[in-house]
Amino acid sequence: MSTTRAAPETPRPGRDSGATASRRDRPYEPGPWRTRLHRFDMRYVPYLLIAPFFLLFAVFGLFPIVFNGVVALRHWRLDDPTLTGWAGLENFRRLFTDDDFFNALSNTFGIFLLSTVPQLLLALVVASLLNRKLRAQTWFRVGVLLPYITPVTASTLIFSVVFARDTGIANWALSLLGIGETAPIDWRSAKWSSWIAIATMVNWKWIGYNALLYLAAMQSIPRDVYEAAAVDGAGPWRQLWRITVPMIRPVVIFTVVLSTIGGLQLFTEPMLFDANPALGLGGDDGQWQTVAQLIYKVGWRDLNLGYAAAMSWALFLVILLVAAINALITNRLGGGRK
Amino acid sequence: MRRSLTHWARAAAVGAVGLVMVAACSGNSGGGGDSQAGGPVTLKINFWGDFGLDELKTKYEDANPNVKISLNTGEYNAQHEDLQKKLVAGSGAPDIAAVDEGFVVQFRGQADKFVNLLDKGAGTYEQKYLPWKWKQTLTPDGKAQIGLGTDVGGLAMCYRTDLFAAAGLPTARDQVSALWPTWDRFIEVGQQYTARSGKKFIDAGTNVFNPVLGQQPVGFYDESEALKMDGGPKVAFDVAARTIAADLSANLTAFSPEWNSGFVKGNFAVLACPAWMQGHIKNTAPGTSGKWDVAAIPGGGGNWGGSFLTIPKQGRNVDEAYRFVEWLIQPEQQIEIFKKVGNLPSQPALYQDPAIRDFTNPFFSDAPVGQIFSRTAENLTPQYLGRRNGPTRVAVENVLNRLATGNLKGKPDQAWTEAVKEAEKAAKS
Repeated sequence: MSTTRAAPETPRPGRDSGATASRRDRPYEPGPWRTRLHRFDMRYVPYLLIAPFFLLFAVFGLFPIVFNGVVALRHWRLDDPTLTGWAGLENFRRLFTDDDFFNALSNTFGIFLLSTVPQLLLALVVASLLNRKLRAQTWFRVGVLLPYITPVTASTLIFSVVFARDTGIANWALSLLGIGETAPIDWRSAKWSSWIAIATMVNWKWIGYNALLYLAAMQSIPRDVYEAAAVDGAGPWRQLWRITVPMIRPVVIFTVVLSTIGGLQLFTEPMLFDANPALGLGGDDGQWQTVAQLIYKVGWRDLNLGYAAAMSWALFLVILLVAAINALITNRLGGGRK
Repeated sequence: MRRSLTHWARAAAVGAVGLVMVAACSGNSGGGGDSQAGGPVTLKINFWGDFGLDELKTKYEDANPNVKISLNTGEYNAQHEDLQKKLVAGSGAPDIAAVDEGFVVQFRGQADKFVNLLDKGAGTYEQKYLPWKWKQTLTPDGKAQIGLGTDVGGLAMCYRTDLFAAAGLPTARDQVSALWPTWDRFIEVGQQYTARSGKKFIDAGTNVFNPVLGQQPVGFYDESEALKMDGGPKVAFDVAARTIAADLSANLTAFSPEWNSGFVKGNFAVLACPAWMQGHIKNTAPGTSGKWDVAAIPGGGGNWGGSFLTIPKQGRNVDEAYRFVEWLIQPEQQIEIFKKVGNLPSQPALYQDPAIRDFTNPFFSDAPVGQIFSRTAENLTPQYLGRRNGPTRVAVENVLNRLATGNLKGKPDQAWTEAVKEAEKAAKS
């Protein structure tokens, strides 16, 4: 220890000269122990401080993903403990011939499109409305966030009453418009109706959240840009598409990626929409069974963990792919050059 | 320098105190863990629906101050699947797990994961039980008994007297029973009812399918575990499909919230009633008290459901758990459960007990439910329910629901093909 102690104290030319000079001015020379501490503080403490996230991520994020990959390559059935050998790519091969998986995949994409597209468009419109001068501005801004605060289980249970066949408010409202007066829509029986019902729940929850993100980004657009546009005769709609959207493009990409991830992992809403949620079937013909739901069913009801793990990995890859494509498209749409 | 030293000293001191506190806490909890000798014990019991245990729990806790009972009710399929998961995982199972006959073969096959109740002296109860009920949880070699039977699901038909009267049908239970000696006649009565009242007759096609299947000698699986769709299931499916085709069904998925509100609103007039269904009707639609009555089911007897109490080996309070289970199957408690929720005991001697024989249920227009259900239980030919009975039943029920509401609507031929396909898938998955 004593041999290295003096070394840091010798002023090095060119490096940190200002600091060294000021240290020289002090009445006493700081002890070497303290200097070491200081150096440690400057060099390593930042790593220490960010370490908890990476440690937690490694334990609760990375490890499960990797382990999941291992499980996906094995036979692993909970109701048959003898089946524990390596399966190789057997589970993945099975995926390609599994009607249930493709049914779930198409449901997931259907609901995803029905929810994400209107959701983000409406959020844009809501945000641009909130960006104007309004009375009780804060009230409205907090108001659009309220659905986001509501627990998704609670809101889904309410919505599944709303979309009840015989007694639901949705059918009642439609009957006022003269739709389905004699034969009310059985929201759970067909693909299209159940998709709409579930997409409605998702939209209701996330429009306000995305709107606030957009609003935050819009606040940073200088007013004079709009004034100049108005002078040139651009209406509000044109201003929204020609000025606002291109200028908040990074946030749009962010929301698109986020809702892609969320939309493709959709679970709670379809799960609780079922007449008997514990089955995880997504309707009696799997009309609205999403991939996440199918993974739950295969893993925890059929107790085939190996196959469920393979499905999870497939979903992970699909999400990566779709998120990349979406980000790319959004980038182009907004006039990006990257 | 000084300042900084005190600062570090302070930090170290705070850290040390924190460590001591953590150590102290863990020391405490470690000390209170072992509670074998008369210490407080919490028994967790998992079941579905209503087992009539709310009051019995208090009674037992009062008599045994060291025991707390924790009742955990859940969804029928979910509770069984959860138990299966916990058995495999090796921990987390409740001290006492209720198992329905529909899942019992699956668990009997894993008898090594349950406490062998014969070791605890349960053998003395063998003579008291309906022989088939005793055998359902007994391993084929007869060496291990994994459960003690609680109730059996002898079948009857519950109906709404007020709705029958409004449709001009007889309301007295003997006359009603005489209306439908067979399922064909039942469908005809239903057509009369819907024609006159404009309302639906039954709740769901699946609630015709299940009782008819319960009346067949062979269910989904024979005793060699082979799927036999062309026997009992075909018969039951045809009857159910015909009721749906005759437009008698309100198409409410059984045990869904809408089904439950159907009881309250009178969306259907009859409902296949195993003994345990009485409790469900009473709990779901207390306002319909006195409007129900119980008649015979078309096609004679039959069984649908009936449960057992098992003790998973992984539990920490196995002895206390057995003491509670043993107490629960005593005649006194069994009779109380029957009176409370209608679950008929599986000990035939009790059927002669005046407390059951003379019991009339005011909720069901004072029907002599004790006699009605004991008679069906005594005359029962039990059915073998295979290992995959639970999932297979769900798969076929779903096809029936689709026939009623979805893309199979009005296509009974296609529906049967689909049912066979789905059942085979469920048998394998």
